Amino acid sequence: MHPALTLSVSFWSDQFVNGLTTGSIYALIALGYTMVYGVLKMINFAHGEVFMLGSFAGYGALVVMGGNDLSGPVIALAILGAIIVAMAASVSASVVIERLAYRPLRNAPRLAPLISAIGVSIFLQYLVLEQTSARAKFYPDIFPRGSLSAGPFEITYIQLFLIASSVAMMALLYAIIQRTRLGRAIRAVAENPTNASLMGVDVNRTIVVVFILGAAMAGVAGVLYGLFFQTIRGSMGFIPGIKAFTAAVLGGIGSIPGAMAGGYVLGLAETVGRELLNELPGVSLGNQWRDVIAFTLLVTILIFRPTGIFAQRSTTRA
Amino acid sequence: MIGRHGRSRFAWLLLLAALAAVFAVACGGDDDDDTGGDVTYGKAGFKTVEIESGQPIKIGYSGPLSGDLKGIGEPIQKAVELAAKDKTIKGHSIQVVSKDDLCSADGGASAATQLLQDGVVAVVGPVCSGAVVAAQPQYEQAGVTHVSPSSTAHKPTYPDRGQVFQTFLRTTYSDDIQGPAQAKFAYQTLGAKTAYIVYDTDAYGTGLRDAFQKAYEKEGGKILGSEGYEKKQTDFKAVVTNIKNANPDIVYFAGFYSEATPFIKQLRAEMKDVKFLGGDGVKNDEFIKGAGADAEGAYLSLPSPVYTGEAYKTFGDLYEKETGIKRDASPFVAEAYDAATVIIRAIEKVAQEKDGKLVIDLAKLNEEIRKTEIDGASGKIKFDARGENVGGATPVSLFQVKSGKFEEIRQ
Repeated sequence: MHPALTLSVSFWSDQFVNGLTTGSIYALIALGYTMVYGVLKMINFAHGEVFMLGSFAGYGALVVMGGNDLSGPVIALAILGAIIVAMAASVSASVVIERLAYRPLRNAPRLAPLISAIGVSIFLQYLVLEQTSARAKFYPDIFPRGSLSAGPFEITYIQLFLIASSVAMMALLYAIIQRTRLGRAIRAVAENPTNASLMGVDVNRTIVVVFILGAAMAGVAGVLYGLFFQTIRGSMGFIPGIKAFTAAVLGGIGSIPGAMAGGYVLGLAETVGRELLNELPGVSLGNQWRDVIAFTLLVTILIFRPTGIFAQRSTTRA
Repeated sequence: MIGRHGRSRFAWLLLLAALAAVFAVACGGDDDDDTGGDVTYGKAGFKTVEIESGQPIKIGYSGPLSGDLKGIGEPIQKAVELAAKDKTIKGHSIQVVSKDDLCSADGGASAATQLLQDGVVAVVGPVCSGAVVAAQPQYEQAGVTHVSPSSTAHKPTYPDRGQVFQTFLRTTYSDDIQGPAQAKFAYQTLGAKTAYIVYDTDAYGTGLRDAFQKAYEKEGGKILGSEGYEKKQTDFKAVVTNIKNANPDIVYFAGFYSEATPFIKQLRAEMKDVKFLGGDGVKNDEFIKGAGADAEGAYLSLPSPVYTGEAYKTFGDLYEKETGIKRDASPFVAEAYDAATVIIRAIEKVAQEKDGKLVIDLAKLNEEIRKTEIDGASGKIKFDARGENVGGATPVSLFQVKSGKFEEIRQ
C-alpha cells in the first residue's frame, strides 16, 4: 500500500508542522479537562461538545458577517469577532452545564457526575445533529492561502496562525493561574477545597471560573479547527474530545503544563510517529492507524508511568 | 520488589502484544477473490406473501436519508416514489417504505431487518455498496429480491464465499467497467503517468480503488501510494503531505463527496495544479456547493452514458415537475426509477388473487425480475446470472467542473 517514498527533509518538517497543528487543538481542549479534574476530580466528558458548540457559534458569526464574501483586512476583524462569539457561546454552555448537571451532584458518589457528563455530551451532540439534519457545515473559506518558508520548514499562514494563537492562549491561561489572585484561588481549591474555603475562598465561584477558563480555550479551539479543517458537524466534538482527554492523561491529569505537552506529544505521535513506524522494514501503516498509534502510546505510557509524563503530586496541579 | 513489578509490567505488555497479533489475524480480509467462473447460488428462503384486500403492496427502499449523503439518497428515494405513484395492482396500491441506512454497513443491515419486519415483497437498494454487502445475507435468507440502482462495487456480484446471491440485482454497472475507463482516461487522455489513491475503506471505496489500480498499472501507470480514510474524516493534512511528497500527476479519489469536499480543499491549499479524478460518489452538485472554487478543474466519472434517449427525457421532465429536483443533480435517479419499475412490473405478472387476498410467491417474483427485459429511462435493462445489468451499451461518461458546473468531456 505504501511504497518507499523518498523521504526528504521537507517531508518530515511538513509532517512535524502538521503534528504541531493538530497538537495545538488537542492541547487547547485538554486544558479544560485537566483544570476541571484538578478542582473537582471529575472528567467533564461534555467538554468535547463545548468545543463543538464554540465551533458552530463561530461559524454562525462568520456567516452573519458575510461568509465567503469577506475580503481584505475585514477578514482579520471577522475572525476575531468569530473567536469572541465562540468563546462566549462555549463559556455560557459550560456555565449552564456546570450549574444544571454537575453542581447538584457535587456531593454525590463520584460516578454520578461522570454519568451526568456523558449524558450531557450525548444530549448536546444529538441536539446539534438533529438541528443540522446530521450534515456537515463548511466554514467560509476566507483565510488567506500561502505559506512562509524558513530552511526546510514550510508553514502555511493558517497553520502559523493556529499554532501562534493557541500558544498565546495557553500562555495567557498560565499567567492567570500563576500570577493572579484568581489563579491562586484555583490552585488552593485544587489542593484542598475544604482548607481553601476555610481560608475564605468561595469554592463554588472558583469552580465556575475554572469551567469558564476551560470553555474559553475550547471555544477558541473550535474556531481554529473550523478555519483549518473547514468541515464541522454535530459529532465533531467526540474524537477531538477523547483525544484531548488522552492528552490530558498523557501529560498527567490535573497538570496544566502536562495537558499542553500531552497535546503536542499526541499530535506529533499521530503524524510523525506513524511515518517513523513506516520507515521500519515491512511496516506500512495507513492513515487509519493514527488512532491506534495514539491509544497504544497512551496505554504504554500509563503502564510505565501511571501518573502521566508530568507526574508531580502537588505544585503544578491546578 | 521493583524488579518484580518491572517483570509483571513486561508480562502485561507481552500479553497485550499477543492479543494484538491474534486480533490482527482475526481482522484480516479474506483474499479468496472470485473473479468469474460458474455461478452457484446459495439457498434463498423464498416464501409466499399474502396481502389482505384493501392493504397496499409494500416495496422497500434503503438509502441514506439523513447525514452528509442525504444528497445521494433523497433524490433516489423520490424517483422510487415516482415510479410507484398512482400504480395499482389488482386493486392494491403500492406503498414505498423507506428506511434510512446512512450509507453504512450497520445501517444497511438494520434497514434490512426493519424492512423485512414491515413485510415488503421487494426492495430498491441499498444505495451504497457497503450497505449492500452487509444486507445481502438477510435479504437472501428472507427470499426478498432487492435491486440496487447505484451500488457499483465488484463485491455484491462476486461475494466472498463464492456463492452468488440470487436475490441481488442492480440496474447500474459495476466498477469493473468504471475503474478501467477512469484509468484509461487518466493515463491516455490526461497523460498522467503517476497516481496517488485516496479511498474510503468501505466496500465501494476499496472496490473502486482495486479496479482503478489494476487497470492503471496495466496501462503503464505507476501508483505512488494510497491512503484510506473512514467516513466523516475531516483532517487530511497528513495525507496531503504524503501526496505532496510523492508528487503524482493525478490524485485518484475513491469515495463520496462528503469527504472529497474537505479533502480537495486541503489538497488545493497546498497543491494547486495536481489533477483530481473521482467517481460516481463525488459527482454530485453537493460537491461543487461544498468545495466551491476548489472543485474547479476536478474530473469526475459516472458508470453510465449521459442519457439522451426519449425515455430519459420523459422521465426527467416528470421527475423535475413532481419533485423539484434537477434530474442530474445527483446520479442514479433514472436507474432507481427503472429498478422500481422492474419490480412493479414483475409483481403485476406474478401476483394472484385467492380467497379475496393477493398472493405473491417471492420465488416466482425473483424469477420474473431476473427475466426482465425493458427499455427503461436509463436504457435497456437485462440481467445476467449474477444480477449484473447487461442490457445496454455501458460507456462511462466523464465530466470536468468548469465555472461551477459539471461539463461533459466528449472523447
